[in-house]
Amino acid sequence: MTSSLNLCWPTRNGVPPAAALVTVALVFGLLLWAAPRAEIDFVRLAGSIPAMIEFVGRLLVMPDWDYLPELGVKMLETIEMTFLATSIALVLSLPFGFLAAKNTSPHPAVFHASRSALSFMRALPELVWALVFVSAVGLGPLPGVMALAFVTVGFMGKFFAESIEVVDRRPVEGVAAHGAGWLQLRTFAHLPQVMPDFIGTTLYILDHNLRAAAILGLVGAGGIGYDMVMAMRLFDYDRLLPIALSIYLVVTLLDRASDRLRRKVI
Amino acid sequence: MTNRTPLPRKPFNPTPVWLSAWIAVLWLIVVDLDISFQALAWGLADIGEYFGRYGDPDFSDLSRYLKLLAQTIATAIWGTFFALVVAFALAPFAARNLTTGPRAYRIAREILSFMRAMPDLLLALIFVAAMGLGPLPGSLALGVHTAGFLGKFFAESLERVDPGVIEAVRAVGGDHTQVVMYAGWPSILREALGYTLYIMDRNVRMAAVLGLVGAGGIGLALHDTLRLFKYDESAALIAVILATLLAFDYLSTWLRGKLQ
Amino acid sequence: MANITINQAEKRFGNGFHALKGVNAEIASGSFTVVLGPSGAGKSTLLRLVNGLETPTQGHVALAGEAVTPANLRTVRGDVGMVFQHFNLVDRLSVMTNVLVGRLKTRSWLGSVLYLFKREDMDIAHEALDRVGLVEKSWERADRLSGGQQQRVGIARALAQRPRVILADEPVASLDPVTSEEIMQLLREICRRDGITLLVNLHQVDLAKRFADRIIGLNAGNVVFDGAPEQLDRATLASIYHREGVVHDEQLESVLAYA
Repeated sequence: MTSSLNLCWPTRNGVPPAAALVTVALVFGLLLWAAPRAEIDFVRLAGSIPAMIEFVGRLLVMPDWDYLPELGVKMLETIEMTFLATSIALVLSLPFGFLAAKNTSPHPAVFHASRSALSFMRALPELVWALVFVSAVGLGPLPGVMALAFVTVGFMGKFFAESIEVVDRRPVEGVAAHGAGWLQLRTFAHLPQVMPDFIGTTLYILDHNLRAAAILGLVGAGGIGYDMVMAMRLFDYDRLLPIALSIYLVVTLLDRASDRLRRKVI
Repeated sequence: MTNRTPLPRKPFNPTPVWLSAWIAVLWLIVVDLDISFQALAWGLADIGEYFGRYGDPDFSDLSRYLKLLAQTIATAIWGTFFALVVAFALAPFAARNLTTGPRAYRIAREILSFMRAMPDLLLALIFVAAMGLGPLPGSLALGVHTAGFLGKFFAESLERVDPGVIEAVRAVGGDHTQVVMYAGWPSILREALGYTLYIMDRNVRMAAVLGLVGAGGIGLALHDTLRLFKYDESAALIAVILATLLAFDYLSTWLRGKLQ
Repeated sequence: MANITINQAEKRFGNGFHALKGVNAEIASGSFTVVLGPSGAGKSTLLRLVNGLETPTQGHVALAGEAVTPANLRTVRGDVGMVFQHFNLVDRLSVMTNVLVGRLKTRSWLGSVLYLFKREDMDIAHEALDRVGLVEKSWERADRLSGGQQQRVGIARALAQRPRVILADEPVASLDPVTSEEIMQLLREICRRDGITLLVNLHQVDLAKRFADRIIGLNAGNVVFDGAPEQLDRATLASIYHREGVVHDEQLESVLAYA
């Protein structure tokens, strides 16, 4: 067929390399397997375009001005939850990072145990933990902060451990040669070297947590998410747009600020 | 000894100031959020007992869970595919060295940043409202949200492509598409695959909770059993979700390791 | 095949750097011209004006009598091959695909996206690889080759364009002396056999003297010498490599003594 078209791929025999063919077939097979299960239906997708446009049209109403102060309070709560949870997680994951890094862990058993604990903590999404914690300690920002901090330790600990593992050995040996102890070695030799990496990771996590905190309210774990769902369920479109816009604004501001800071630090 | 040069004045070390400011802010937050440590301590004592209730998972409905799990993974796969298509089309315009002009650059950047900023659950809520319940709005929401991330990652990788290679393809008379296809993507293939795997991993995690807003998957089942205090079934569901997500985490870490 | 006319070309960059200060040159079709000059003299800028990678602030450049403008950029670049100091191959693609990049001007949008090429283009690329003696490496990844081999792939890519002019920007600056010799001979042979006009930037005076039909000396954006290699004596070399503000340049003296 390719010869009649007078076209070919730039390979020895004119057909794509086996690796590319296998990859394409694999991806295509996965998509085909997934399509009925995910109810992928392009007709329905196309058919829902008018509904989407109508929905967006309904969003574009005069915002409910009286709601704005409350929106501000809720947004502040979201930011506070993010900051608190990230701070708690930061304090907890620093020691965790040293225990879970191959080159600083006191014992292989400790290394494997902390690695597994970290995987377990980050495996489930914040919302699942928020569901669990809400049913344990009741509604409010507390279960939200707990869920966020819990999952964040899982991620941060892993990232920290990975940056510690690639630390340059020479300064560490230099400090060790002067007879430094276990803890001294970690604070004077490892910490300064991984600091830029840590700051970058923390900024990235802060960013991620703000997005997560914005939806925790969905299950009653505090923050703007609750208002969002209620506005949606009660068809309060005059609130939905300000909520969406304020999330967009805060997330984008943090995104840009952390991008700038990261570039400065690294 | 007496006439050695005096040490210059010790520079001011701002760390204690920042540290105390940080603690003060945290304290204010704790007060503002009404978090009482008493309640927390009491809650912690209780929490052991609480988690004890999950001790006896009930797997009698396993076949239904597995079906929901398959739907969750399928939703994530299509969400990632949608994201990949959009990111593939937008990223070259959002990379400073490959874009067609300052306006195209700005527009592509803003679209990507808007998609990133919209939480996927909010998008899922909106799509469910517009097109009805089911995993399709879920995968669409995942696709839109993660296209923003993937597009940004791709654009940043493309910006690191050797300018000489780009110039070489321009110098043979290549147009924009050809520069992107022959100098851009081949140079970042590995990185791009790594990012896609990472996003796939993330989407499986998110797809597991999309059910909360009616967008399919296993999340709704967990929500229902937790609300009805069926701890045995909740425990089974959490175990199934946990096993799947851990498996995906290992799989994608292993694959990314292979790519390097 | 095509002569190059450079008429009062001036280039001032956005940062204020005045790279070219009114250069005039008429480069004959099928000739081998070497541009000599110290770093920062404007050699690269001069070359890049010819295929429109830079646009002159003033004056113009014409190829076979046709001015290079933003409108005909793609046609001009299709006719002009370029060889780079750092080869600028796409590392992850095969040698063959890298050479086929030279045929991109003939490919449709869809063909480019799918990496599909015409059989004629494959034949042209094959022939180009044969010319540089690398046919047996066709299916290897470009980054697995040595520096000299990579540069020959770069030349094959230019040849695959079926160009009328080849620009070579410091083609041997990253290579060892023996490989440099090979590459220069290859370029010379291409000029002779195919009648392609070659414009080459060099910083090795001896290579320039042995291979060029004509040498243009640039210093601080001005042409300070333009003539046959035999006319290049110590005084003219001194004017080419003269450094601003240095009255008695001992380094220059000792370099010239061995030139």
